[in-house]
Amino acid sequence: MKYFDELKRSMDWLARDPRILFLGQAVECPGTAMTNTLKDVPRERLLEMPVDEELQMGMTTGLALDGSVPVSLFPRWNFLLLATNQLVGHLDKISVMSNGGFTPKAIIRTSIGSQRPLHPSHQHVGDYTDAFRLMCQSVEVIRLDEPEQIFPAYEKALLREDGRSTLIVEWGDYYSEK
Amino acid sequence: MPITNLTPDDLVRFEEDIASEFNLGKIRAPVHLYYGCEQSMIEVFSQVAASDWVMCSWRSHYQCLLKGVPPEQIKAEIVAGHSITLCFPEYRIFSSAIVTGSLPIATGVALGIKRRGGHEKVWCFLGEMTAETGLAHECIKYATNFDLPIHFVVEDNGKSVCTDTRAAWNQPVLSWEKTAHPKVTYYQYETKYPHAGAGMRVQF
Repeated sequence: MKYFDELKRSMDWLARDPRILFLGQAVECPGTAMTNTLKDVPRERLLEMPVDEELQMGMTTGLALDGSVPVSLFPRWNFLLLATNQLVGHLDKISVMSNGGFTPKAIIRTSIGSQRPLHPSHQHVGDYTDAFRLMCQSVEVIRLDEPEQIFPAYEKALLREDGRSTLIVEWGDYYSEK
Repeated sequence: MPITNLTPDDLVRFEEDIASEFNLGKIRAPVHLYYGCEQSMIEVFSQVAASDWVMCSWRSHYQCLLKGVPPEQIKAEIVAGHSITLCFPEYRIFSSAIVTGSLPIATGVALGIKRRGGHEKVWCFLGEMTAETGLAHECIKYATNFDLPIHFVVEDNGKSVCTDTRAAWNQPVLSWEKTAHPKVTYYQYETKYPHAGAGMRVQF
């Protein structure tokens, strides 16, 4: 299967778990390339958020503490930077802060912004995968370079029992190229 | 029915004990002590149920005591160096040592409770400087507009570390000071302790 098809298959599979809630910008309405991967997800499992990355990331952790498995969408790495405090300083540290008592499971989706056919300028095409791997002690960062990596990554993120959350990085250009 | 029968004197004595231990060099980590807000805190906790969540900042000893965590268990965590981020999952207490850190997490917990039809409530404590931040306003706005089961308690001791909050914002009356918001309680208090520590220079 192609890159986009694997992403859509993964989202459809995730949505079968009643704990899953997709949240972010352009999840209920059109707006980003990621939106199309959710087009067959029931609407009641989609939560359109205000454009407020730190609020969204913190609420993602809170939803996970309450027992949901939130899938939190940040369409570009550059946008996720705005949520770094909640991702690196909170979701990633909450288990050690609580002596292993709090183990929220969240799935974070982000993307390296596409550069073709339109280049959206340098504020939209960052790839901070390696930097966040260095910053995160608990959250596992997985970059999806090939289509065959996609479903196993999301499957692992949902089924893992090690108390860790997962940050999954997609390539915007590969939606149409691989 | 309050979770505990703790009195203001009980709370003060707990902090004085921690202050003493800190000044003796027995706690090799920052402590942030409460004083002067005992009655206000007890009144807030008269509405808090055991099943509710309590989300705090770096200053949280009173909340832990009033939520029912045994004092010796709290003290053990403090002596172990965890005062700044006291978390007791079995009592549904979370604390963050970062300004605004617990607020969106608290909002998310409240959203989860509402979506599944739960009856618990979230109580989120924040200082007056935190309450002036954009993220605080965003969380309160979101929680209000979606009528989430959460209540914010703004505790005003006038200072953020040593910075005068009103002077720094050039704002004589703070945002929540003279408002009657259904999801916000605001109170002022005057503490005898510094931001961190217990007032003595400790040589570790």
